Amino acid sequence: MKNEQFNNRNVSNGYFLVDIEDYPTDGWGKFKRVVKRTFRGELFVGLWVVLREMIKFDIHTIQYPAEKMPIGPRYRAVHEMKRLWESGTERCIGCGLCEKICISNCIQMDTRIDENSRKEVSEYSINLGRCIFCGYCAEVCPELAITHGGRYENASEQREHFVMYEDMLTPIDKLKSGNQLEFEGFGAITPHEDERVKKTPLAY
Amino acid sequence: MNDLINFKIDGIQVEAKKGETILSVARKNGIYIPTMCYISKTTPCASCRMCVVEAKDVNGFVLSCNTPPIEGIEITTNSKELENERINIMKLYDVNHPLECGVCDKSGECDLQNKTLEFGVAQQNFTARDQARKIEHWGLINYDPSLCILCEKCVHVCNEVIGDDAIDVKFGGYSSTIIPKNADTLDCTFCGECIAVCPVGALVSSNFQYSANAWELRRVPATCAHCSAGCSLEYETKYSGIDNGFESIFRVKNNFEFTSLCGAGRFGFDFENRALKDENAFVKAVDALKNAKAIRFSSMITNEEAHILQLLKEKLGIQLFNEDARKFQEFMNSYSSVSGKKHHSGSLDAIKQADAIIVIGTRIATDNPGVRYAITTARKHNGAKIVYAHPLEDALLQNTVTQFMKYEVGTEEGVLALLANAILQEADLSDAERAFFNELDLGYLEAESNIGHEEILQMMKSFSRAKNRILIIGNDLIAHDRALNIAKLAALIEKYTTFSLVVVPNEVNTLGVSLIAELDKDEDIIDVVGYNARGNFLISSLKFANLAVPALNQQEGTFVSIDNRVLPTNVSVSFDGYTLNDLASACGINSKNTIDYTSMLNPKSGFKNLNFDSLENYLSPLGDDVRGYLLDEVECSISGELESIEDLPEFNGTVIYNSNPVLQFNAYTNIAKQLEKDTALRGSAQFAACAKISDGDRVEIRFGSKMITRDFKLDNNLKGTIALNPTFDDVVDASRYRFEKSKIMRVVHE
Repeated sequence: MKNEQFNNRNVSNGYFLVDIEDYPTDGWGKFKRVVKRTFRGELFVGLWVVLREMIKFDIHTIQYPAEKMPIGPRYRAVHEMKRLWESGTERCIGCGLCEKICISNCIQMDTRIDENSRKEVSEYSINLGRCIFCGYCAEVCPELAITHGGRYENASEQREHFVMYEDMLTPIDKLKSGNQLEFEGFGAITPHEDERVKKTPLAY
Repeated sequence: MNDLINFKIDGIQVEAKKGETILSVARKNGIYIPTMCYISKTTPCASCRMCVVEAKDVNGFVLSCNTPPIEGIEITTNSKELENERINIMKLYDVNHPLECGVCDKSGECDLQNKTLEFGVAQQNFTARDQARKIEHWGLINYDPSLCILCEKCVHVCNEVIGDDAIDVKFGGYSSTIIPKNADTLDCTFCGECIAVCPVGALVSSNFQYSANAWELRRVPATCAHCSAGCSLEYETKYSGIDNGFESIFRVKNNFEFTSLCGAGRFGFDFENRALKDENAFVKAVDALKNAKAIRFSSMITNEEAHILQLLKEKLGIQLFNEDARKFQEFMNSYSSVSGKKHHSGSLDAIKQADAIIVIGTRIATDNPGVRYAITTARKHNGAKIVYAHPLEDALLQNTVTQFMKYEVGTEEGVLALLANAILQEADLSDAERAFFNELDLGYLEAESNIGHEEILQMMKSFSRAKNRILIIGNDLIAHDRALNIAKLAALIEKYTTFSLVVVPNEVNTLGVSLIAELDKDEDIIDVVGYNARGNFLISSLKFANLAVPALNQQEGTFVSIDNRVLPTNVSVSFDGYTLNDLASACGINSKNTIDYTSMLNPKSGFKNLNFDSLENYLSPLGDDVRGYLLDEVECSISGELESIEDLPEFNGTVIYNSNPVLQFNAYTNIAKQLEKDTALRGSAQFAACAKISDGDRVEIRFGSKMITRDFKLDNNLKGTIALNPTFDDVVDASRYRFEKSKIMRVVHE
């Protein structure tokens, strides 16, 4: 293993300042800025669009949040964590692939060995403030445990509310009533899968 | 050269040295032969049969791992038949192998996974009725027999390299498993080497299991910070939790193909120090340094820190105390005055290749496991004769040592004189040196040291045909009152015979410190700043420090190992507080980074003018050590003369020997969570009778002006009236002569 990666000792957080034009300091400069900002053509373009649509009476407005558009089943909004149909336990096995593949580094998990010597996911968090909803995590998941759902409304008083694992996990009553949605995406079991399964040799 | 064997592999002309196998020659020439059970540092297991090749005009397949080539033979490593054979082997390995790669610790670095994909095993034609197999929990190690592929690497390593011989294969066809040898549960030194070599997830660290995956961990190449063997290792780090988010070390790995690591290195990694910048403490520390008369420090520091301390000494005009390194320094200076060179000639590699070894004055298996593994390798691979001279027998070495030479406590000088006298019998000594040996009162020395004439004769006889001989000298000789004369005797042996010499430094960087710092004799004065050592103002990476500094796994810098090799180590876990370099800068010795000093280390001791960033830290694919650099040899003037042997001291009654239990070395291993911390005084039944105590008693031990209290444990592996007293919990100064006359009293509870 080569050591080059350790030779850089200017460890920083990766943030840098954007190059912004200096603000005017004298009165003449400020006056020029005001004029430049005020008398631009865009203002009248906007006014014209409003006026035109008002006269046409062709209104497409949806009365959100009372009304909502239907969204497609493969829409990529807030993640859902699925449960196993048979036992109701979480499907996630803690393999860490979603964490590894996540390009915005928003997934973190902690795993440990439990009393039965099995792997247990002790913490799982997705920082939705950082998530770009690319869907790689759902694509890489070998267990179809994480998928994207349709919940796109992320308004809250605190950023911490965006990382609640409990909110993403299928509620147990929803599972029992048979309403857990299966993801029909990459890696999902295709129709007629039974016919394609080869026999395992069972010589004994 | 006539002893080269010329032959062809896949049409490429290659040559082999005597003793090389087809596989090793192929690897050297970059020709790929797949293997599952082969491991370079042991004899071939030959259990996987993946390495089969075809030889022209030879019927059937040939195992390349244990077959030496013959002149002119033509080997084919790849053909339709071989491919078929290998795929079938892989299928057999895959029979009933649990499909739990998703959770398995080994996934991502698993030989079975890799080879199954490499050979494209897409379907299975073999079956066997699966059996219920119980997962075993052996303390630090967990064993899952259903994942085990019976490659036997672990057994070979345990037996041939480590020397514990603690595990074995229980043969039984499909129900074969790995079992603890002659015991119900695993009773070994827990080096964890079996975990390292396991190609699948069968043997895993119980602490690490299921806590992270191979691909999540960041690898930091470093050097082990616990003993002077300077083992290479990689710290693997990851953020330690969702709540706190800082990185911590999850496990330690080593290049198991060529090197070994003891349990302290492998499991004792969590000794890092966490602290923030404390301005107040920093100002106080600078004040304390400026007003101090001396700095006392331990040898558990890097060369660069030692250099800074030396600069501080020059700048502030204060003294430097480090008894451990000072004694080593004096010993080596005395050695140099006879041998004419600065460094001892031996190394761990030399020990591995030796066929005759004398170990004297150290309980080597616990003092320096790296040396122990080298000795075991020499014993098992070269049939080396190993003489172990010490007042105490060591149960850990009973399978390794060929001759145990028991001498009386304190008579080390006499013992080495006797050995030198026998070894140098026919050497071309100078007149003065010959006169020294002629004047020896052999009868007195033999009587006092309790080493019989026959014992020495037996040793000389067993060594008579040896070519590579090594003398290994431990701390009992370095810290001895007569260390200077002992060093000269050792130098004579090295100078006039084919013996090479290895002096085992006590702590991780005792050698480095002794080469860099000018040390003063520690007089118990006040106004001493302690740097990782006791003092009135404590700057330390341990608890109760007045100013916190980073521990050795949080620093970059270099160590000097027992091989006289300058080894780099890197930062595995960040430290947010102040370092010694900041303190030095505040005192007017300016440098941006600590490692700026790497190129300025004392050239008079053989350090090279190399930048830290130019030092490599890895082993080549063929196992060549390219870590750091070897110290240059430095010529010294020859002026030393032997003094006559003094009357040998006597140690009667109950004697304690300051020696750490397995996997414990110092205050840092003491805070590692996984390592066992047994601070009991261990003694034999005879010791108990002599001291009038029994198993489980709380006892007061008095020696010199010191008094400590410990629990007493009866140890059936020990004999005689010497008990073992641990030093890792810092109650005893580890640099003292390790045997102490002591008074033992039982503490009576009221």
